[in-house]
Amino acid sequence: MTQLAQPLDSAPDAEAGTSTLSPTKAPATLTIISLLIGAAFAAPLTYIAWRNLTLGSDLWAEISDPEVLAALGRSALLATVVSATAAVAGTATAWLTTRTDLPLRRMWRVLAPLPLIYPSFVGAAAIVAAFDTGGLIEQWLEPLGVGALPDVEGFWASWLVLTLFTYPFVHLPVAARLRTLPPSLEESARLLGGSPRRVFRTVVLPQTAPSIWAGSLLVFLYTLSDFGVVDILRYNTLTREIYTNRVYDQPRAMALALLLGIFAVLVVTAERSVNKRRPVTEASGRSRPHQVALRHWRWPAFAFMLAFLGNALLGPMLSLAWWASKGFANEGWGHLGQLLSEVSQPALNSAWISVISALIAVVAVLPVAYLTARHRNRPGGLANAFVVGGFALPGLAVALAAVFWALNTPGASAFYQTFFLLVFAYVVHFGAQSMRASQVAVAAVPTRLEDAARTLGAGRWRRLLTLELPLMLPGLLAGGGLVLLSVMKELPATLMLAPIGFKTLAIEIWTAHEDAFFAEMGSAAIVLVVLSGFLTWLLVIRRAESY
Amino acid sequence: MPSQSNPRPRRAFRCGTALVLAVCALGGLLTSCGSGASVTIYSGRSEDLVMPILERFAEETGISVDVRWGDSAELALQVTEEGDATPADVFLSQSPGALGLLDEEGLLAELPTETLDLVEEQNRASDGSWVGVSGRKRVLVYNRDLVDEADLPESVLDLTDPAYRGMVAVAPENASFQDFVTGMRTVMGDDETLAWLEGMAANDVQTEANNNAIVEAVSRGEIPMGLVNHYYNYRFLEEDPSLPSVNYDFSPDDIGSMMIVTGAAVIEGHDTPEAQQLVEFLLADEAQEFFTNETFEYPLAIGSEPADMLPPLEEGFTLDTIDLDELGGDLETTVELIEQSGING
Repeated sequence: MTQLAQPLDSAPDAEAGTSTLSPTKAPATLTIISLLIGAAFAAPLTYIAWRNLTLGSDLWAEISDPEVLAALGRSALLATVVSATAAVAGTATAWLTTRTDLPLRRMWRVLAPLPLIYPSFVGAAAIVAAFDTGGLIEQWLEPLGVGALPDVEGFWASWLVLTLFTYPFVHLPVAARLRTLPPSLEESARLLGGSPRRVFRTVVLPQTAPSIWAGSLLVFLYTLSDFGVVDILRYNTLTREIYTNRVYDQPRAMALALLLGIFAVLVVTAERSVNKRRPVTEASGRSRPHQVALRHWRWPAFAFMLAFLGNALLGPMLSLAWWASKGFANEGWGHLGQLLSEVSQPALNSAWISVISALIAVVAVLPVAYLTARHRNRPGGLANAFVVGGFALPGLAVALAAVFWALNTPGASAFYQTFFLLVFAYVVHFGAQSMRASQVAVAAVPTRLEDAARTLGAGRWRRLLTLELPLMLPGLLAGGGLVLLSVMKELPATLMLAPIGFKTLAIEIWTAHEDAFFAEMGSAAIVLVVLSGFLTWLLVIRRAESY
Repeated sequence: MPSQSNPRPRRAFRCGTALVLAVCALGGLLTSCGSGASVTIYSGRSEDLVMPILERFAEETGISVDVRWGDSAELALQVTEEGDATPADVFLSQSPGALGLLDEEGLLAELPTETLDLVEEQNRASDGSWVGVSGRKRVLVYNRDLVDEADLPESVLDLTDPAYRGMVAVAPENASFQDFVTGMRTVMGDDETLAWLEGMAANDVQTEANNNAIVEAVSRGEIPMGLVNHYYNYRFLEEDPSLPSVNYDFSPDDIGSMMIVTGAAVIEGHDTPEAQQLVEFLLADEAQEFFTNETFEYPLAIGSEPADMLPPLEEGFTLDTIDLDELGGDLETTVELIEQSGING
């Protein structure tokens, strides 16, 4: 049914070079700026490469070690399977909440991105406490005659937990895309007699494909980088090997980290060349998106949302609430008020630093997103590979790299352990998230509108501010929203780089977890989820809707 | 990197004008512009367990303390990366492993003999680079609903017996288990240590991420028993006294009853009187009583007594800590042996 998309083929196909902007026309300044940004984002990887040299790591010995290859294989397998299921789940939730008459869809829109907020170790521990042998669910099911639940561990448990916690990487960009798709195509398809399912398959899905790819790649890279989930659920990936060796065998840990980084950069480069000829549909800010009546599927769809978010959001929440109440039942509920007042300052800190970091991340990667979406040149591809590929590195490596570069770059040591360096580290670590969403957003701005504006004499900045930015906004907000949620839960860089005394909610949760103060961990984690929900609604969802 | 000017006030202007004070208060870069005397601590021991006593130190001496909290191992990596530029004066560690790493890199200053002599010889580094502050004993935590205490072995080495097949949990990536294995190597040698690890792997030992996860799994009944440090179960019981998890001590001379010490060290080039004063304070009566009464640890200063709730260290208890020096800093072998044994699946 691709003929339905035919009229749009005259629209800019940036990657294929059929657009009015030819690949050779990339402005030199944009290319240079993008290369500089790419260099900044390469900081973690260059640090790791440098340490491989200074520590005398034997990268070759590691690569030829079957055990290491097996661990890399397990990482790649888990990342592939998780990103495939997250792609399906994230697309489904995005479509249901933005384009259908799903009951309570406004509420689902706020809740759906939230599972991303659980710090990996908290989420996994909460799932274990809920579903594992002797856990919360088993206690509830016992009176019903249900026997012992199986152990929650290994590949499938890691797959399930990571899918539940990472699908928002797909959901947010896809939802943003669905909101800006022109309704005319779907209406035409419907008029031509296409069933809703067929319209979805032949019109909606191809048009959202770039966003689905964008999000799935983030899920893939996140899974490569994750330590918390695979550690608690006992699945031995390459990142777990890196952590095991991080203190006692640094040369090995650094070699493995370099291997992981190179693998990620290769995957990102491969993805870009595979998807370069994907046709792009332009965004439209003119009319309300087409809404599909689910009819008799309305309540089954509602049940799906309930079951899915029940596991991804509510399940861990119940464990957290259970821990919180167990502790308070013992120590008295008066303790709760004291605790909430203790976390108010960290909550405020988490909120402002994540909002600022998200804003800077969106702005910082925009030139690279612009270059890569509008032009096809090597510098753009290179900058893209470093910005996006760096996301696969474990947070600890990024934090140590920031320490190294701050203290070894002339003039930079003054910024050591200040907010500047902390935000820099956040942006470098999570910029990939806004990058992917921004690339789709830039590609969707019709260049013929821009050409018209240029003909009418509008300058570059005016065109950007009045024409392109409004059309890109939902995509940029989605990318910023992902960064915001990631910074809210970030730990290694915050611990190493924050000014002394600056505490975030994630630090509070981690401290309580280390000391087995489950009541405090549970209540602080609940505050984190509620605060994140509020910020996502306030800054991302509400704005995207009102626009 | 933003191109704003550097907000850190220069040393010459410190305490100069109200403006400078305002700037440094705003930046949060220096919390003690007034008195000047301050100590910067990197603490791998957590805030809840140490801050009250550090606050007492600040009150009693007028020296202000700035603390960066984190994971012992990762803070040690940070100091290694910072080198001479480190802001840290004092390093507090959960375990000797992280201190060993810093010592190996030559980043620790030698402590004064008076400080070192506050503890027994086995509770400090033989080169004087760090001193033990409190002790954590290795124990077997078990679920009393699933196991009878009478069926538990005298020695940790007996856990390879088929009777305990699939019943024991360990945390192979955790620093305290790695320290325990290192201690085992110093006593039994690498070959026998590896044989025990392989025996555990062959006996279907279960693995968890850390001590907390083990105690949690044991109290839920997922697994009957696990090797942990003694105080984790006390924390769990404090929150929920109804839990069926109980600590079991191997015999006092068994390697399974080894004491793992938390330690304090002064960073090379930062051996100010204030830094040394802080380390000494941690070994004085007030701090030692705090560690045993509030955090359920064994005090290490000579003459300090463990809290009543702790099982007393019996006569014959000889295994106080790991002699890292004997291994010549060869800690990567510990991780290698653990990996080689297949215990980690």
